[in-house]
Amino acid sequence: MARLDGKVAIILGASDPRSMGAATARRFAEEGAKLVLAARRKDAVADVAGPLGATAVACDITNEDDLIALAKAAVDTYGKLDIAINYAGIEGGAPVIETTAEMLRQQADVHFVGTGLFIKQMALAMKDGGSIITASSLTVLVQAPGQGAYAGSKGGADVLVKVAANELGERGIRVNSLAPGFTKSAMTDAYFAMEPVTRAFLKEMPLGRFPTVEDIAHCALWLASDEAFVTGQRIDVTAGQALRRTPRADEFA
Amino acid sequence: MAGRLEGRKALVVGAAGADNMGQVIARRFAAEGAKVAVAGRNRAALDAIAGEIAGVAVECDFSERASIFAMVDAAKTSLGGLDIAVNATGWGLLKPFLETTEEEIDKIYALQLRGPFQFLQALIPAMEEKGGSIIQISSATATILFHDHDAYMATKAGTDHLVRSVANQFGDKGIRVNSISPGVTETPMTADAAAVPGVMDAFVKGYPLGRYGTSEDIAAGCVWLASDECFMTGQNLQVNGGLTLRANPSKADIEASVVAAMAAA
Repeated sequence: MARLDGKVAIILGASDPRSMGAATARRFAEEGAKLVLAARRKDAVADVAGPLGATAVACDITNEDDLIALAKAAVDTYGKLDIAINYAGIEGGAPVIETTAEMLRQQADVHFVGTGLFIKQMALAMKDGGSIITASSLTVLVQAPGQGAYAGSKGGADVLVKVAANELGERGIRVNSLAPGFTKSAMTDAYFAMEPVTRAFLKEMPLGRFPTVEDIAHCALWLASDEAFVTGQRIDVTAGQALRRTPRADEFA
Repeated sequence: MAGRLEGRKALVVGAAGADNMGQVIARRFAAEGAKVAVAGRNRAALDAIAGEIAGVAVECDFSERASIFAMVDAAKTSLGGLDIAVNATGWGLLKPFLETTEEEIDKIYALQLRGPFQFLQALIPAMEEKGGSIIQISSATATILFHDHDAYMATKAGTDHLVRSVANQFGDKGIRVNSISPGVTETPMTADAAAVPGVMDAFVKGYPLGRYGTSEDIAAGCVWLASDECFMTGQNLQVNGGLTLRANPSKADIEASVVAAMAAA
């Protein structure tokens, strides 16, 4: 028997075939889950969903009506919702003294407000317990200059995860976050194109290689499965970089 | 269908008590296709579990360095390799802080900090050629407090930090090192306390998921950390249903729960 037989899962942030969301969708499909994949661009997520027999839905995490519709799509199509994973994220970096109110609000809107609404609407749709997972970040664990707004919004969401887990346990709903390290994915192409950057990062990874989107998918599978008696935690898949540090910009020369 | 640890060679120390956590982990590893060496002090109990899972029994006194090194060597030799090692030993000492004796501190230090330290010292050379996964069973009490448990909590917390340091140093050998923190779990170690009506009820309130843990929960966490799919290292994994979000019951909470259970009986 596959590990997610009979489960219905939503994965938000799965529009690029090389994303964590798409890798997770492929892994979950192998394990027998029925899937609803979502992203802002429906045409792109439909391309990922098609070969997996998954349902594609357009969803902007900052819009609560979209999240309500997303949860409803799972329940209407497959009769219920057991697992919901949020990988939606945006980049953005600047030193704190150059960070504008607009930049702070933009990061907070997606990573904090969005995550809060995602947890809320997914939990409301889960009638028989479930597992909610949201992407955190290595930047919450080791300081990365220039990532104040990003890390702050992700870290805030991690605390929200703990409070939600404490509240939702009695409904049988587990809530955790998953912090990927510097992962080779659709979102990090620009960094991986710079050899000095990858070299500096690799030096800070005890396990000696970059995390892959498949590594993240494996961890999501474990957290999603009924076997994980885990809630309110942040699980790090960083190649051990959380034990060390983020390289400084002057090391990228 | 292939198990998740098919062909893996695993050592579980602390598996010499009938149905204790180590035995439950060893059974699950075997069910996932691993060949398992079980270790501990009680030969008869080891032989029983080894016979049940077609494994290997290795005697070990975890408070003796030479015994730990000999165990790792014997396990690796008899299994034909060593990919996974779990330390599920422990001594659940309950003693008020001011009454804890030097002898007790020394004993728990030997079992819960020096032993794990030397176990890691023995495992690194044994695994450095092919890599592996090492799992230390810690405790939620390394994070949240419990009454009369100072020596236990301090040594568990110390070992968690050691896990981080060893993970950092030997990741380049392909060795991952993590710990798992159960909350209160029904095991032979807690059987006496759990047999008193009301005691376990007092704990349940601390669990967001509404139940306390089982050794099977911990075994499931061990399978995840042990499998090649896991790319985690240097972490302390809380497999306790969210207990660390809340708290253990205080001594007064437990006493009140026992009184209530007696009144209801």
